[in-house]
Amino acid sequence: MNKENIALPVSTTKTKVVRRKKKNLLTPWLFLLPSIVVLGTFLVIPIVEAFHWSLLDYKIIAGTGEFVGLANFKEIFTDTSFWLALWNTILFLIIVLPLNIFLPMILAVLVNQAIKGVSTFRILYYLPVVTPMVVAALMWKMLYSQSGPVSSIFVSLGLFDNPTNLLVQSSTALVAVSAITVWKGLGYYMIIYLAGLQSISKDVYESAEIDGANAFQKFWRITVPMLTPSVTLVSVMTIIAGMKVFEEIALTTGGGPAGATTTLVMYIYNKFMSLDVSIASAAGVVLLLLAIGASLLQMKLTSSREEDLRA
Amino acid sequence: MKRKQTTQKIMLYLLMIFISVITVGPFLITLFMALKSPGESIYGTIYPTDPTLSNFTDSFSKANFGLYFLNTFIVTAIAIPLNLLFCSLAAYPLARMDFRGRGVVLSLIIATMMVPFQLYMAPLFQLAGELGLRNSYIGLVVMQVATAFGIYLMRQAYLRIPKELEESAYLDGANRFQVWYRVALPLVKPTLVTLAIFTFMGTWGDYLWPLLNSTESSMYTLSIGLAQLSQNFDGSNLKLISAASILTTIPTLILFMALQKYFISGATDGAVKG
Repeated sequence: MNKENIALPVSTTKTKVVRRKKKNLLTPWLFLLPSIVVLGTFLVIPIVEAFHWSLLDYKIIAGTGEFVGLANFKEIFTDTSFWLALWNTILFLIIVLPLNIFLPMILAVLVNQAIKGVSTFRILYYLPVVTPMVVAALMWKMLYSQSGPVSSIFVSLGLFDNPTNLLVQSSTALVAVSAITVWKGLGYYMIIYLAGLQSISKDVYESAEIDGANAFQKFWRITVPMLTPSVTLVSVMTIIAGMKVFEEIALTTGGGPAGATTTLVMYIYNKFMSLDVSIASAAGVVLLLLAIGASLLQMKLTSSREEDLRA
Repeated sequence: MKRKQTTQKIMLYLLMIFISVITVGPFLITLFMALKSPGESIYGTIYPTDPTLSNFTDSFSKANFGLYFLNTFIVTAIAIPLNLLFCSLAAYPLARMDFRGRGVVLSLIIATMMVPFQLYMAPLFQLAGELGLRNSYIGLVVMQVATAFGIYLMRQAYLRIPKELEESAYLDGANRFQVWYRVALPLVKPTLVTLAIFTFMGTWGDYLWPLLNSTESSMYTLSIGLAQLSQNFDGSNLKLISAASILTTIPTLILFMALQKYFISGATDGAVKG
């Protein structure tokens, strides 16, 4: 994975490169040119523009706007639907995070065994990952419909008296949407855990067996603690991806009922659709700050992990 | 003891099969729905009593999915080679050359990986309009033809190859481009496959950008076609949506089956992407 390399500017190539350096000042830029043109035009310029728009009263149709300072930020911070969206995003993460940490871990332990057929199960568990999100969202929308299978199962289990579509009840909609996200990510996080599991030495389990530990004890006392680095990685990835959750909501509930599934990204999307692009940009800046916060957390957690390993 | 182990094994398989039902079940139910004949009730039985392929043919003849397939295919076919070429070019000096500004370029690339698309979609939408890219294939692929993530991924791959191989090529009188093309590039082939997969998955299933930029139905991709079709989410339309969903997923499934190994190793390589 080599994530650590992000933070380290590489200087190891210096000595050997130096002697060619003078005559080839332009060469590295020729290599970089196509990407700089594309990313500069379609990524850097729009990002800078978005920051600019967040300080304007921008009208996308007229293509102009006046400078309004931080008025857009003031507006979103006094908008209850913005706070609801932020709360829904947090709630979504509170639901998804523990499930993403534990369910794929169990899957990884299961498919890490030396028994027949595990490779087939790995493939079957990975299928949702390679499904386009639009398809996953529509499949689950169908499964959730009032006379669909999820509702029938819930009624036969006695959880509901009458057939109910979980997506249209404001009390269950966010949980129902979260289930789609978790379902789609199971196989992906399973692979992350599998890489972690394969780095645990077999000797640890063998000595535990000699001491008479059962499978359950081995899982809780050895596997879970040894997987801490993977848990950190899965958590941070879940948080970063969860903050951007969009398709599974846009295509199932559209943010409803009554804003119950309107997350931060849905809020931005809705503002854009109603052409309040400056408000959308300001909310986007807030989203970016949260994303940067999560990434810094990731760097801090992974670097403290390195220190632990060195000590 | 032996018997206890056997029961344990059976329990284990039952658990693994139960999980498979959860991960694969939705596909089967969708497939069964897609195979139901026009007269059949939607939720009567899970399996089709009178299976037919008419929903699949209808998705081409009535819902225009042939065109959406072609559009999605064209966009993907433009995105993959360009992203591979541009990223493998850009990553090389960032891994192997010492030049002024490298630190800045590298930091910018890593920083942009964190920026959510929803922040800059509105300015990008306007820019695409100004450049005449609305409802065009070029407009659809602009986000995929050079990616910060791809450059980062390729750079990591170059850093892993030993420098001695390139050094000996320089001694033979090769220039930078020749060394990149003949020595470095062949050595990072597995990462190129991984990047091709990421690009494919990102382009084939992309939803939000095509939704914004393709305002005319003639430029819809499969995702947008599906989303439009699902506006009417009941009755016989559900069978059509199911058929179109299956058709949309088949190419990704085929690719997954063919390149499993790369999908799995790519999952851990892509862990930084978030």
